[in-house]
Amino acid sequence: MAVDTQDRPAATTAENGPTAEQDSRFQRYRIRTGMFAWIMHRLTGVGLVVYLIIHIWGLKSLSDPETFNALIAKYHSPIFKVGEFALLVAVAYHAMNGLRIVLIDFLGWSPKQKRLFVTLGAVTALIILVGGWPSIYSLGEWLFGPGTMPSLFL
Amino acid sequence: MAASKSNALNWFLHRITGTFLIFMLITHFWVQHYDHQVASVTHEVVTEKGEMPDYPDAAKEGVKAKMGNDVEATPYNVVMQRLADPVYAVLWKGFNILFLIVALHHGFYGLNNVLTDYIRDPMGRLVARSLSWTVALGLLIIGLYSVITAGW
Ligand code: HEM
Ligand code: HEM
Repeated sequence: MAVDTQDRPAATTAENGPTAEQDSRFQRYRIRTGMFAWIMHRLTGVGLVVYLIIHIWGLKSLSDPETFNALIAKYHSPIFKVGEFALLVAVAYHAMNGLRIVLIDFLGWSPKQKRLFVTLGAVTALIILVGGWPSIYSLGEWLFGPGTMPSLFL
Repeated sequence: MAASKSNALNWFLHRITGTFLIFMLITHFWVQHYDHQVASVTHEVVTEKGEMPDYPDAAKEGVKAKMGNDVEATPYNVVMQRLADPVYAVLWKGFNILFLIVALHHGFYGLNNVLTDYIRDPMGRLVARSLSWTVALGLLIIGLYSVITAGW
């Protein structure tokens, strides 16, 4: 499904020629990026479903203070800090690529695809850096000792 | 795609739920990681088993003000500032319930798309579909229960 939107041939060649026969460089590049974007969207989507299942299951502990405290304390162990960062990367990518698909589908932004792709890529990087700073910061403090990381805006 | 009359509607809904999730996830992320008073996760790594994370002063004061001077800022109490608040609990629980429904619908509808792509046999599709929506329903019930009864 996603392939349809991303591989939609440019308006001038839209009539019949199948995309495989267009050998202009630009077109090939776009297909490859589109495929990759689509596969990553699928992987992150499924990953998030897995996380959501574990998350809701874990939140049963909301009914018991002791269990809940243990759960959140676990979220502070080193490996979970890494996981937290990976989760953010998955969410940020999936959200921004999803937004891109929605904008193309609903607002017909396909002529602006390339610019949209680059802009949202930059926004994604920003979300990951700003949103991921708490995890990076806490891992750094733990690895290199207290006070070694700039706390910046935290 | 297996022909179903509601496919177009579901396709549309999937885009709507996705867009909603952007705003809900931003809120969720802010509340759990950034807000100094109510974030359940702090900027700290804990390695000892049974050790609790240390919360910022804003959180400690918030918990004291709401639950009494001798109450400690444990993760549970920090979250209960919102979920057991006499006024805002309804708002937060409402938000969480909406979030729960939207995330489950989006996630499991998406999962079904993926399954339909890889499972060719109609019977297999039906089994996969029924199974995944059963799991989703189970999670909905568990999630509703946890968030509604939290802080009672
Ligand atoms: C943060 C905001 C989100 C946005 C804007 C968004 C957007 C989208 C869109 C537009 C699609 C359809 C792609 C297509 O038809 O090709 C999609 C697919 C999907 N989404 Fe999301 N989504 C978001 C969050 C989530 C979350 C939190 C989960 C998991 C619980 C999730 C799981 C999935 C899955 C499993 C698919 C199917 C992937 C596929 O068919 O290849 N999404 N998303
Ligand atoms: C490490 C990151 C995360 C942490 C620490 C976290 C923590 C929490 C906590 C403590 C709650 C309890 C309710 C509340 O405090 O208001 C909650 C609820 C919820 N979270 Fe997360 N969360 C995280 C990431 C996510 C992600 C990525 C998703 C979406 C896929 C998500 C979906 C939900 C949902 C749907 C609820 C409501 C559950 C219910 O009603 O039972 N969370 N989260």
